[in-house]
Amino acid sequence: MNILIAIGGREYSKPTLDLGMKVANSLEASTTIAYVGKKVSQFSEKDVSVAHQNLDDRQLYRPGVRTLEWAYDFLKSKNYIQEETNDFNDHLLVDEENSRMRVLLKGKHSNKIDLILRTGEIIEQLRSEVQTNNHNITVIGGGSNKGMHHDLVQFIDSSVLVVKNYSFKKKYKILLPVNNSVGSNNAIEIAEQFAKANKLEVEIVTVLENKSSDENLKKILDRTAKRFSKSRIKNTTKVLEGPVVKRITQSASDDSIVMIGVSPKNPIMKYFFGSKPISIAQKCECPVLIAK
Amino acid sequence: MNDSYKIVSSSILYWFSQKKWFVFSILIGLALINMSTPVGLTVSAYHSLVILLMVFILVTSQPIPFPAIALLALVLQVLLGVAPANEVASSLMNDAVLFVMGSLMFAIAIVHQGLDIRLAKIIINIFGRSKRLFIAGLMLISAVLSSFLGEHTIIAIMLPIGLSVIRNIDSSKPDGKNAVLLTLFSIAYGTIIGSIGTPSGGARNVIMINYIREFSNITIDYWDWIQYAYPILIIQLIMAYFVLQFAFPSSLDNIQLQGYKKSVAKSNNATNIRHIFSSIIIAIIIVSWFLFNEQFGLGIIALCGVLIFMICGMVSWEVINKNTNWGVILLFAATISLGFQINDTGAASWLIDKFNMMISNLPEDSSFSWSFMAIITGLTANFFTSSATTSLLGPMAIELQPNNIVFGMSAAIASGFSFLTVISSPTAMILYSTGLISVKLFFRIGLLMFASSIVILYLMSRFYWVML
Repeated sequence: MNILIAIGGREYSKPTLDLGMKVANSLEASTTIAYVGKKVSQFSEKDVSVAHQNLDDRQLYRPGVRTLEWAYDFLKSKNYIQEETNDFNDHLLVDEENSRMRVLLKGKHSNKIDLILRTGEIIEQLRSEVQTNNHNITVIGGGSNKGMHHDLVQFIDSSVLVVKNYSFKKKYKILLPVNNSVGSNNAIEIAEQFAKANKLEVEIVTVLENKSSDENLKKILDRTAKRFSKSRIKNTTKVLEGPVVKRITQSASDDSIVMIGVSPKNPIMKYFFGSKPISIAQKCECPVLIAK
Repeated sequence: MNDSYKIVSSSILYWFSQKKWFVFSILIGLALINMSTPVGLTVSAYHSLVILLMVFILVTSQPIPFPAIALLALVLQVLLGVAPANEVASSLMNDAVLFVMGSLMFAIAIVHQGLDIRLAKIIINIFGRSKRLFIAGLMLISAVLSSFLGEHTIIAIMLPIGLSVIRNIDSSKPDGKNAVLLTLFSIAYGTIIGSIGTPSGGARNVIMINYIREFSNITIDYWDWIQYAYPILIIQLIMAYFVLQFAFPSSLDNIQLQGYKKSVAKSNNATNIRHIFSSIIIAIIIVSWFLFNEQFGLGIIALCGVLIFMICGMVSWEVINKNTNWGVILLFAATISLGFQINDTGAASWLIDKFNMMISNLPEDSSFSWSFMAIITGLTANFFTSSATTSLLGPMAIELQPNNIVFGMSAAIASGFSFLTVISSPTAMILYSTGLISVKLFFRIGLLMFASSIVILYLMSRFYWVML
């Protein structure tokens, strides 16, 4: 299992890093922390590259390395990196391919954490990172614009966790809407491991839209509840009625982490008309994971 | 649903989302070509304007790589009958393109010598007596060097100096952030303003010199340009100094200049001979630009500089090849070629006639057309970069008053006012890439500089240039 955590500004990235690492730890996943630097105009890309090389020669950190250093120190302070590590100052920047650089910390360090510096358009860079390194989950902050979340879910071939209004101090519960899609099965799997590792309560819901009952959905609900109980995860079940997006956003409170499957709809329809999971991610004021 | 169908449709959608501006420009091009040719224009002239519009959309939105845009412009010129293949090929290479190539390579060779430490020592020796003088010195040195060696060279050399100074600023203290921004903007504005000073300050200057020579039969040499542009540069520098003091008020108490002086003094002097030798090469090239630009052209002289650096083993071909932006060179070649075709086919004259008809109801005063031209070129350059703007709009600016260099010179200088957007110049882009300044901040401060620069240019062209 591989997890990609995209970080930006330091202060805004704390919750993203924290929740991303909690998910990574609970899934025992390798983690790549990526800072995507500003997109550079083609007119100036070589000039910028030469200027940055000059900064490297003068041992002045090029843009982005300071943010990765901060991320590394943050992970150490939170004990996400447990092994004995060298100081970040003692690092090498390795140019791996076009617009991707890896920060190599000299000496002994955690082989489960990768620090990556990328430059360019964020969706393009994250897509390329996921495609090259087969990441299963991409974690990104919720401060970015809604269009970007739409594009991320649409074009990135991994589950996407949008971290919105996450607080370290709150005790969270998982809100798990289920149905008969493949994405929903993956969401159940991730929710189970995450809840078990972090001792979280799970609220399993299914939504009946335009119908009064659906035996198939009720069976999935019961089966999921049994699965969680078997794993000793405290859970409750609920059948909601009405429009899916409205009912789920109403059920999600600010201490919820919503974990939902991706829509099985045609990608072209999703691109032009959106999808329910994307609308939920955009409307909820809490972290939302869309599992693929 | 079939998984392979999902993958294929998702890939197509992704391609479309990334290339929508390319699709848009092609559709616009096709639609315009299928419309009837406007009265007064030949088919080839009309097609050259359609290609101009397509190139403009593609360069501003950048959905495909620059070399692809350049090739598209060249191919379309031939396919749409704007000019025969041989004519397009011959208009592709001239001294302006050689200068773009030479100056980009020369910049890499210079930056590779690590002259920033030497420069930092000189700045400290001359301007180190007070913090405010030091900041003014950063701006002045950036401007003077940039005027001869180009802003892309100087910003790469000055940025480590600026960031080393910033490392000695306590930005957590009151007005510390202002001191950081003051330092960065002083260097940035110095290099941007400096680039208007001499023909070698920016490719746009050389492009305009070539256009004026071709279309107006007027020759402007290195010294002529300096006489026209340097006084503007000096006034702009003074203006920029006060604009920045006003925008970022700081007591500068947070700058630990002593700490910076110590770190510079401690730096390695082992590369002394290399520094001296590279300074001699740079001086020879600048003097050659002054003395021999008429005989050999600025491009050939810049290439001589690269040649000397390479023959002396001071920079390898691998370094130059890796860091030269070949895409930009190809794009400039293609846009300059298109600029020639726009003029040769009569499209530029047609546009100017239309413009003159449009303003015929206004009082007859060249100030209006001058202001329109200067503001349009200045604004376009902020979204399209200065050299590309000059190569495409230059012929039209000259056409406004073909026997007077004022319009052509003003267009080239106004296109150097890249104060508004971070994509407009290498300086702005490099500064933005540090993450220390935002797009909004750059625009806010730049707006004041842009407006005042246009006013300065107007006054100088009206009252000073007539005396030359």
